[in-house]
Order: sequence, then structure tokens, then C-alpha cells
Amino acid sequence: MRRGASGKLPPLAIALLIVFPIAAACATLGMGRMQIEPGQLIAAVMQKITGEGDVPKTVMMTVFNVRLPRILLALLTGAGLSLSGCAFQSLFANPLATPDTLGVASGSCFGAALGILLGFGFIGIQTTSFLFGAIAVALTYIAGSGKGKGLSSIVLSGIMIGSLFSALVSLVKFTADSETQLPAITYWLMGSLEGTGYDNLVYGAPPVLVGCVVLFLIRWRMNLLPLTEDEIRSSGMNIAALRGTTIVAATMMTASCVSMCGQVGWVGLLVPHVCRMMFGSNHLSLVPASISIGAGFMVIVDTVARAATAAEIPISILTAIIGAPFFITLMRRSGGWRL
Amino acid sequence: MNLSVEHGTFSYNHKHNVFTDINFSVNSGDFLAILGPNGAGKTTLLRCITGMLKWTSGASLLDGENIRSIPEKRLWSRLSYVPQAKSSPSSYTALEAVLLGRSSRIGVFAQPTREDIERAEHTLETLGVIKLRDKRCSEISGGEYQMVLIARALVSDPEVLILDEPESNLDFRNQLIVLDTMSRLAQSGIACIFNTHYPEHALQRSDKALILADGHAVFGPTARILTEENIERAFGVKAVIGEIETRESVVQNVIPLHLSSGEHAAGEANPHDTLASITIIFNDFDTSTKINELLHEYNDIIVGRMGMPYRKRGMFIIHTTFDGDEARIAELTHRLAILPDVSVKTLYGKENGKEKE
Repeated sequence: MRRGASGKLPPLAIALLIVFPIAAACATLGMGRMQIEPGQLIAAVMQKITGEGDVPKTVMMTVFNVRLPRILLALLTGAGLSLSGCAFQSLFANPLATPDTLGVASGSCFGAALGILLGFGFIGIQTTSFLFGAIAVALTYIAGSGKGKGLSSIVLSGIMIGSLFSALVSLVKFTADSETQLPAITYWLMGSLEGTGYDNLVYGAPPVLVGCVVLFLIRWRMNLLPLTEDEIRSSGMNIAALRGTTIVAATMMTASCVSMCGQVGWVGLLVPHVCRMMFGSNHLSLVPASISIGAGFMVIVDTVARAATAAEIPISILTAIIGAPFFITLMRRSGGWRL
Repeated sequence: MNLSVEHGTFSYNHKHNVFTDINFSVNSGDFLAILGPNGAGKTTLLRCITGMLKWTSGASLLDGENIRSIPEKRLWSRLSYVPQAKSSPSSYTALEAVLLGRSSRIGVFAQPTREDIERAEHTLETLGVIKLRDKRCSEISGGEYQMVLIARALVSDPEVLILDEPESNLDFRNQLIVLDTMSRLAQSGIACIFNTHYPEHALQRSDKALILADGHAVFGPTARILTEENIERAFGVKAVIGEIETRESVVQNVIPLHLSSGEHAAGEANPHDTLASITIIFNDFDTSTKINELLHEYNDIIVGRMGMPYRKRGMFIIHTTFDGDEARIAELTHRLAILPDVSVKTLYGKENGKEKE
């Protein structure tokens, strides 16, 4: 896709990026084990708005209480994970940086596993998960920052803290009741958007939305992130503020996503790279593209997860199975990626 | 505009000083070369000058105000820094990269406007690299990337341009392009400060020089600082400064001969008066102001002067005759010779010419 002169998206691309997630969401609303015809879907929506109509109650339930919250969650986590992936890649000037780089995801997983072990409810699990994600990033920061230390030492300490929390997850699994809790933890760790209600969204959505809005607003500034420290400083930008804002926003989004639907791998690595290959490295277009394509991609993958077979497939498995070949094809055709 | 460093001392660990008591000062239009052996701390010095590193004691002053007390945004709209081009270039297009140079003039939540884009394009145009506009920085040559970095620094209309080894790792055509660009910028009133590994570039281009060695610095007009003695002292290399005569002027060059034996050459040369005549030819009327200013500084040794415009070709010719210290005459010759598009030659009288009756 051709880019505008200054890296701004051409109007056609903007239109496509806005339409894609919305179209994906609308199209998948009717799909699933219970197939709903487009006509009936429109009727159901009309009935919800006007309060009049004769759509069966089961259809209404399926569309508005089961599928809609789940699709909203998919949109949200897709956008959040891919945007935070994009931010971490630029921040560390490293194409392999993922939302897990600072240990956030491992921390959140541990929090969730702990929540399950202690027999918390869904909201409780979400809270502990978010809490430990934040604790992990704080530990990473304390361990890796200090006088004269650069970004690479933060990445290193992120890996350390990440493996520490992975070990703690194993410990929780080891102590868990192998009949009930262990399968629950294992299944949760594979990631699933199943059983989402509006109450989960009420708790999980605000951090993701706030993160997205903040990064979207400073998207042109984010172009400075991959440059060297001297280059950022000599642009007159407060380097600590720029990096700090990015880290906080991206961490907030990741922790919140993981707390809502478990560890969904690949999206944070794959989508930003696809966007870089399609739209170039300018964050002016990269940020909106990551949000839009991440959201749409997640909705599609989640629909496959719930509708392809009779039993639900964990979403991490699908993101990898769909993502890897697609990514490799794109990479070979575009001649690799750079930041 | 004046940028000066007073008693700058810096150390990383408060034990061993990287520099001790550095002093220098540059004004608008000055062109300062910083030389020194590997590891002498040239890049560190630039970072201290710009306030990216904090002097352990002493200060950098911009128009008398301590650089570290100037808000970053205001500081970096007056100062621009071109880092060494060694870090792997990003895949931004040249235009996107140049636009980043406008950061200090664009609000945090704002995006570059039409005007910013036009400024960036104009800067690329002035530097003769507008053809790179939509090329990715990772796909252009080292020389082209260096020009993009210079464009990025210039697009914020700085008063001081600070460059870290801008001509390293370039072939000599690209070195010339970069050096010519810097000469033109200095001529247009921007103060240029650059680090270099090439003493001859300092000799051929800069009007001021600073040599770093063992944490101490010598600073002054290039012709006085870049001497065979100072090169030997700083680099431990016996070198000769040779002169190659071309049709237009005399080009100075530094040729390293062998490692120094450790015995430094005998000290300062004695002041030595001589008769000399300098002939200058140039074709840009604006240059004459600069030349007249320079000549004015040496008024006390001028014994005769004749200037005339040659309208037929649109050129100007100045003949001046001097009687005075040979070192000062050499210094003036050097300062004239580094002006772009000026032909200068100096003819010295024979030895007996200095004997006064």
C-alpha cells in the first residue's frame, strides 16, 4: 500500500482501517454454532433499539449476551495487544520485543493462576492478574534501571522477572488440585475469550482504552522512540517522559488484556510487523493500523476458535497456526522487516 | 550568539578526570574543529558542551546563560546535534526522518503541519538530496544518510550545529560534499562545531581548532593551533604540514611520517617579521564584507591595500601588502583560504626584506 508523503495515511487506507474491524465484528456476530441469518440479525438489532419485534428470545440472548460482549472483548484485546507490541518494539528498537518483554504477561499469568488456586471468582482473578502484571513491571523497572544503565538492561531484567513468574506459575500448578484447579489454570493460560460478560468488560476495558487513546495522541512522537538516547534528547523531547508514558500505557494495556482472556500469544508480535510491512515504520500510520488490524484479526481468530469445531479451540493455538504461515509468506514477499 | 565553555572539567567516577579546565568560545559563523586521538573523549566533550552530560565543574554558556538551566525545548531549537551515523539507520523515509528534527517546534500531541513538511522538503532541496525524499534511510548510502542527518539537524533552524565525526566512513567525494555543506552553513552565520579524525579537514575548513590530549585542550585560530608541534604532542606522531599549490590557492595537508620518539620538538618559533603580499579573488559581493572584517583585524600590519571590482566578469580583486609577524600573516591567509569560493595566495618577501634600515 502506498504511503502519503509525510507518512500520513491516504484517505482510502483510513476508510479501510475503520471499516475492517467493524465489518469483521458485524460479520462474525451471526457466525457460530447457532447460525443466524443476516436478515434475522438486523431484525434483532432493530428489536434491541426499538423494543418491538418478534425475534426469538434465544437469538436475542445469543447475539447480545453471548456474542456481542465476546466480540467487543476480542476487538479490545486485539487492539491492545498489538498496539502494546508495536510500542515495545519501537521502545526497545528491537523487532522481537513483545508485550512479554517486561515480564508483564508472566506476572499477569501468575496472578490469574494464584486467583484460581485461591478459588476466586472471575472478577477476582481479573484483579489479581492485573495486579501482578503491574508488580512484575515495577520489579523489572527496579531491577533494570539505575544510573548509567540503558534499555538493554531493562530488557534483560524483564526476561529475568518473566522467568521468575513463570517458575511461580509452575509452583502454583504443582500445588493446585489436579482434578479441578490444574485444568482450569492450564486452560486459562492457553487463553480464551469464552464466558465474557459485560461485567468483565467494565473492569478490563478502561485501561486498554486509555492506553490506546494516549498512544494514539502521541503517535507522531513515538517516531522518536527507536532513535538513540542522544538523538531523542537533541530533539528537545523529555526522554524520561516519552519512554515512561509509553511503558505505562503499553503495560496497562497488556496486563488488562491478559487479565481478561489469558495469555494470547503472537498477536503482539505478528500484527505490528504486518502493519510495518504494509504501512512503513511511521507511527502516524502504524499506530492506527495496529489498532485496527489487531482488533479485526482477533475477532476473526476468535470466531474460528468458537465456531470451527464443536469444542472450543484455545485461541493461542489458533493465533500461531493462522499467524505463522501468514507472517512467513508476508515476510518472504516483502523482503523482511525492520523497525 | 555566543556559545562558550568555561573551566569545563568532567569525570565519570570523580577519580580520574576525562577533561580538566576546558575553555573555548564560538560565535555565529565560527567553524570549530575538535581533534584528538582515539579515546581522548571527543564525543564525551560534545555531549558535555550540549548539556547531555553534566560537567563535573565549570559550565557551558549559551549567550551567557548556563545550558543546563535552559529548558530543553528552547535549548534544542537553538542547538542541533548530529550524532555519528554509525547506529543502524531506521527504515523511516528521508522525509520522515528529517521531520523528526522539527520536534522541538511541534507540540506533544500535534503532528507536523503542511508548513513543517515544506520546511523539511526545502532543507533536503538546499542540501541537494531532495531525490532521497521517499527513500528509506536503511536503503541509502552512508554519505546520503549523513546528509539526511544533517538535514534533520538543520530543519529546526538552529544557531549552532554540532556534528560528531560527520565525514568518517565516507569516500572522499562524500567527504567533500559534507565539508562543503558545513563551510556554506558557517558562511551563512551558523556556528558549526565538529569532531574529526582528519587534521587536514580542520586545516582546510575550520577557522578555529581545539586539540584534546590527556584531558587538556589547546584552543585558538586553526593556523596557530594545528601546528606540527601540537600534532606531535597530542597524537605522538611526527607529521609535516605540507602545502600543495593549485591555480586558485594553496591547500594545506598533513602527512604523518612516523611515531614520535618521545622527544618533543623545540618549543615556539620566534616571532619573525616579514614582508608579504596577499592577493584575493572572489565573485560573491557578500563575501567582501567578511573579507573586509578579517582584514580590519590585521590593520596594524597592513602597509598597502588596493581593491577593485572587475565588472566584466562580475568578480572582485583585492591586493594587500603586509609587514609584520609571519605567524599572523599565515593565520590571516588561512582564515581567508577557508572561505568558500575565494582564491587566495600569499607571496612572502625574501629574508633580507625584513631587515630594517
